[in-house]
Order: sequence, then structure tokens, then C-alpha cells
Amino acid sequence: AMAGLVRRLLCRGLCVAAGPPSTRQLREAEEAAPVFQYAGKAARRKDRVFVWGFTYSGALGIPSFVKPDAGWKKPRRIQPTPYRLETEEKISSAACGYGFTLLASNTRDITKVWGMGLNKDSQLGFQRSRRDQTKGYEYVLEPSPIPLPLEKPQQTRVLQVSCGRAHSLVLTDSEGVFTMGNNSYGQCGRKVVEDEIYSGSHVIHQLKEFDSRVVQVVCGQDHSLFRTKKGTVYACGWGADGQTGLGHYNITSVPTKLHGDIAGVNIIQVSSYGDCCLAVSDEGDVFGWGNSEYLQLASVTETTQVNVPRHLPFKIGKVKEAACGGTGNVVLTEEGNVFVWGYGILGKGPNLIETAVPEMIPPSLFGWSDFSPDTRVAHVRCGLSQFAALTNRGELFVWGKNLRGCLGTGRMEDQYFPWRVTVPGEVVDVACGVDHMVSMVRSFT
Amino acid sequence: LNAAPGPAPRQRVRFLPTPAAGGGGAVELVAARVPVLADHPFVRGPRFRKLKIGAGHRLDVKASGVFVLGIGHGNKLLTDLYNCHLTKVYTVGGLFGKASDDFSDTGNLVEKTTFDHITREKLERILAVIQGTNQKALLMYSNIDMKTQEAYELAVKGLIRPMGKSPPIITAIRCLQFALPEFQLEIHCLHETQQYLRKMVHEIGLELKSSAVCTQVRRIRDGVFTVDDTLPRTQWNLQSIQEAIRNCQLKVETELEKTLA
Repeated sequence: AMAGLVRRLLCRGLCVAAGPPSTRQLREAEEAAPVFQYAGKAARRKDRVFVWGFTYSGALGIPSFVKPDAGWKKPRRIQPTPYRLETEEKISSAACGYGFTLLASNTRDITKVWGMGLNKDSQLGFQRSRRDQTKGYEYVLEPSPIPLPLEKPQQTRVLQVSCGRAHSLVLTDSEGVFTMGNNSYGQCGRKVVEDEIYSGSHVIHQLKEFDSRVVQVVCGQDHSLFRTKKGTVYACGWGADGQTGLGHYNITSVPTKLHGDIAGVNIIQVSSYGDCCLAVSDEGDVFGWGNSEYLQLASVTETTQVNVPRHLPFKIGKVKEAACGGTGNVVLTEEGNVFVWGYGILGKGPNLIETAVPEMIPPSLFGWSDFSPDTRVAHVRCGLSQFAALTNRGELFVWGKNLRGCLGTGRMEDQYFPWRVTVPGEVVDVACGVDHMVSMVRSFT
Repeated sequence: LNAAPGPAPRQRVRFLPTPAAGGGGAVELVAARVPVLADHPFVRGPRFRKLKIGAGHRLDVKASGVFVLGIGHGNKLLTDLYNCHLTKVYTVGGLFGKASDDFSDTGNLVEKTTFDHITREKLERILAVIQGTNQKALLMYSNIDMKTQEAYELAVKGLIRPMGKSPPIITAIRCLQFALPEFQLEIHCLHETQQYLRKMVHEIGLELKSSAVCTQVRRIRDGVFTVDDTLPRTQWNLQSIQEAIRNCQLKVETELEKTLA
């Protein structure tokens, strides 16, 4: 009786027979399906910041690693792989010091610079504590705005920031250079005050007296270098290793012009992180001064301290960029070749520990192959005992001592040859510190 | 194959009784070379009753291209070639705008998306990152201690590769053609399956904030065998097969010597 009922309903067209859908039904269902749009034609690539390395100093800017804010979270001492840092503005310049980080944006808003990490010498300015309004924070765990005493805060733009061991420099486009932090060696460019207490200090010094506009600021461990538009270099700070390059081994507390082999030469880039300094001229020559205990300047002199800039006669081609680390140096030539020298893990396997003459790292280690012959290194950066190289394809290669996971490879072992860091985006710039690194990345789509 | 002239039958020396020269009833033994009766085709039967044929790397039903077979003794060479871990090259065709459950265009539709924001530059960026992460996997699964000078030297020459079991690794990938909504990629890979390549196409679509299905997977090289050495259906006869085996013998031997040395 049931079968008869179904057949009568089918005949009357009151119900439709089920069964596997025919091809025509599938095609019609496909055409009727809704189309989703995840990214429109005007979708822009987003700029992001990724951080990795040692977290307990607060230099990574993620408070939940140090003080977990949920019951299930555990404190994370080391972040071994890149971790995204949410920032309010697009960060155009970043610098890593010894346990602290500065991020700067190119904006015209009032807040242009954020800092996080160690603040025991007020290298991040005065961060008013919420518990006690008269004291400041000694560790800043989140990117906090640094109030700069600008005359025209809504017009001036911050171009670049740089961090040393316990001091930092902020370069603006029209109001000179602002310095803050430890000044016991005059590295902030102001007179050394005996028994000055730097913790919780409000002092931010402004430097304007240079022969032309300053275009690059670089912090060494306890000294500062300023490069002007005319191609001259000024220095101040500790000079016991000759890193101020002024011809003596004393402290300098006012930025003074350097002479020596760079007098009259148009310098286009300066670099320093430890006690050795390198400068590159527009003709591709390399000049060095400062500490040479690790054979950094051994190609021109046997002395271990060089206090006057000396030309380094390397026959490696026209040099485009140089970077100084604690014990090793790296340069990038116009052809895209990377040369390393000095002491430590230089990037050519465990057998090369020290060399006074630059050695080239084969481009095949940076992703060059017959399949992709136009891959070349575009920038080189140095931390205290690590090196980083950025290729034109947006890949980041690191090598050197893996101090507290600062290489970002996910492993805790030292890396003896260039190794790719997996970052979900195209790496635009990277800043290396002692035990952490910060990178500015653009998303793919 | 059985009709072809086989190897000459073995000969042996037998002493056969022949009537002595000069007549009479005396019989003397004369040494003569006679073929062994056991080798005679009527005794033994056809030489080949069945052939052992082994297949090289798998090729599934929806894919096409180079498929290596080994006959008889060639099966042992197949195992040796497998242990060489040589790369295979595929051309993979994809289509933007659709996502299906088995990642190919014949599966059930899951989602349709727009794709007009995709440019060749974005695709190449994604491919560069895929190549980078797979390069890292190549170094990691090769089980070489990264701290040795020997690891550094092999890395410089680009000779590091996993010599054991490993998940699928793509050694090189590039875009051959790009005409929205279709695109074609050339992929060099190790230890992969065709379904993994289709999944890769699907993931490229997701990464570009759209979706993609795979329309074509074609293997154009398997170790030393390329499309030029292959026999199309029309040439599946004895002479072509024998000629093909002869042509490839030298290549296979040199490759085995180089890698397993």
C-alpha cells in the first residue's frame, strides 16, 4: 500500500525522486553557488612587525611572555621563531639595543617613537609608573610612547632611531638629534655630570650643531656616530678603544668632526655596534677605526686600537653597505656579494673562526641557483655576534651565535652558515640586538 | 618475444656410436659436438611464459606523464634508482576561483571566490616563500649535522638531500604561464604524491586570499627519464620497447654510479 501511495504521488508530480545528481544538476548548482570575495582589487599589502629572541628583558614588547595574563599561559623565556607584534602605526624604523628596543613611525601624530625593554638608565625616556607617580618603570614590557620635547610635534617627522648599550638616539628631519639614556662617557652628546643618577631621569638632550643636516645616527656600545648630508662624520662618547676616531683615547662629550683618512671624503654610510666602526664612501671604499683586537683592522695595522679612521684597502669591488658586529664585520658589494672578516662564527662553516682579510660567502647559500639566477643579497645587518642578510626576494638569512634564541631559526644551536628564517611575509628590514631581533615585514597579498 | 631467435643451444661433446669406416658390423665411438637436448624448444617449451614487470614511482589515475617500468632484471635497478632519491619534475595546471573537496576540477564544489586581485607578481612571491621553506625542510631531513664543515660544503654545492624516508619536499617551483583564471607551474619535488601537488595548488589559492583547483598534473621527468625517452600508446610494441631499453641503459648506469658511489 505504501509503494502504491508513493507511485501515485510521483505521477501527480507532488514529490520528486531522489538519487545521485546528474551532470546538468551539478553544473546548475555550481553556477548558482554564491561567490565569496576575500580581497578586492584595491587590497593593499599590510605592514607588520615580527620579533623574536629573549623575552624576560621586555625587549620583545609582549607582556604575556613575562607576566602571563591568563591562567593557562606560562612565562616564555625565549621566543625561538618570529612572533607578530601588534602596533598601532606603521613602523618605519626599528633599533635593538642591549636588552631594549625602539620603534619609530614616520607619522605626523604626536606619538612617534615607542620603546620597550630595559629602562634602568632611562634609555627609553621617563616612563611614569602608575603605582608611584614620582618614579619611573625600570622594565617596560609593552611598546610605550616616548615623549620627545619637539618644538613642532605635529610637523616634525622621525627619520631613524638607534640604540646602544644604555643610550638611544632619535633622528628627526628638522629638529636635529635627540639623545637619552646613560651619559657617563658623554655618549649622549652633553657634558658628563658627576654621580648623575640616570634611572628615572627626565633628561632628553637635543643636538643641533652640525655642519649640515644629520642623515644617519649610529650607536656603538658606549659611543655615538652622526653622519651629515655633506658626508662628514661626527662622534662623541667613550674613546678608550679609539672608537670615536678623534685621534685620542679620551672621553668626548660634544659631537666632534672626524678627520684622518675620511677627511674630505663623502661618506654615505656608517655602522657600529660594539667598539669597532666602519664607514663606506660614495666611491665604494671602506674606512675603519676603533677596536681591532679581533683582526677587524689587521689588514692595515698591527695595533689593537686605532683612533684615527684608516682606509681599508680591500680588493673586493665597490662596496655598497657595511655592518659592524662585536667581533666580526660584513660588507655587501655592488654585485651583491657578501664578504665577512674578523673573529667568531663568520658564516663559512665551523673551520673559519678568524680572518683579517674579507672572505666571500658563496651566493648559493642565499638562494641563488640556476633556477633563480637573479636572487641577490640586498642588505646586511649585524648584531653583537650574529649576522643577518636580506635578499631581493624578501627572504631573511641569519648566521652566528644563537644567544638565547636570537637567530629565530627555531633551534637553539649556533648556525655556522646562512640559514633561512621562516617569516610569513616579505622582510623589508631587520634590526639585530644582543639577544633579540626585530623585523619589519610586508604581507604577501 | 618467443618468436625471436633465442640464444644458441648449449653444445656438449658426446661419444656417439657410428658405423666404422670400411663396413662390417664393428661400431666405434666418435667424438662429436651435439646440441643438448634439454635446451631444445620442443622439450623446454617457450622461453618466456611470463614476465616480471615492476613499476617505478606511482602515478595516479588522474595524472599523466612519464611512468618508469622495469622488466626482469630491471626490477633490481628500479630499487637502486629509488634509493638514489632523484627529483621528479611535474607541470601542474591550476584554475583560480573554485575550491573543491579533492582539490581537482572534477570534485564537489566547496566554494567560489573572486580572483581579479591576483597578479603574477603576488603568485611569484608566494612561490618564492614555498621554495624557501622547502629548502629548509631539505636541509633538516637530510640528517646531516649542521655544525660540521662537510655540511657547509655540501650546502654550498646544493647537494644536500634526504637519503631516507621524508615527507614530500619541493626543491624548486616556478610559474610557467599565467593567464587569469588559469596558471601553470613547474614543480621539482621529492617523495611526493600527485594528491600532494593538488593540495599545494589549493593552498596557493588560499594564500592568495582566493581559491584554486588543479586541472592537470603531468610528470615530465622522473630521475633520468624524460618525456623524450617515453613511448606513447601507439608505440607499445616489442621493437620500440627494446630500443628504448637500449637507449636508456647508459644513462641509468652513469647515474647509479654517481649517486651510490
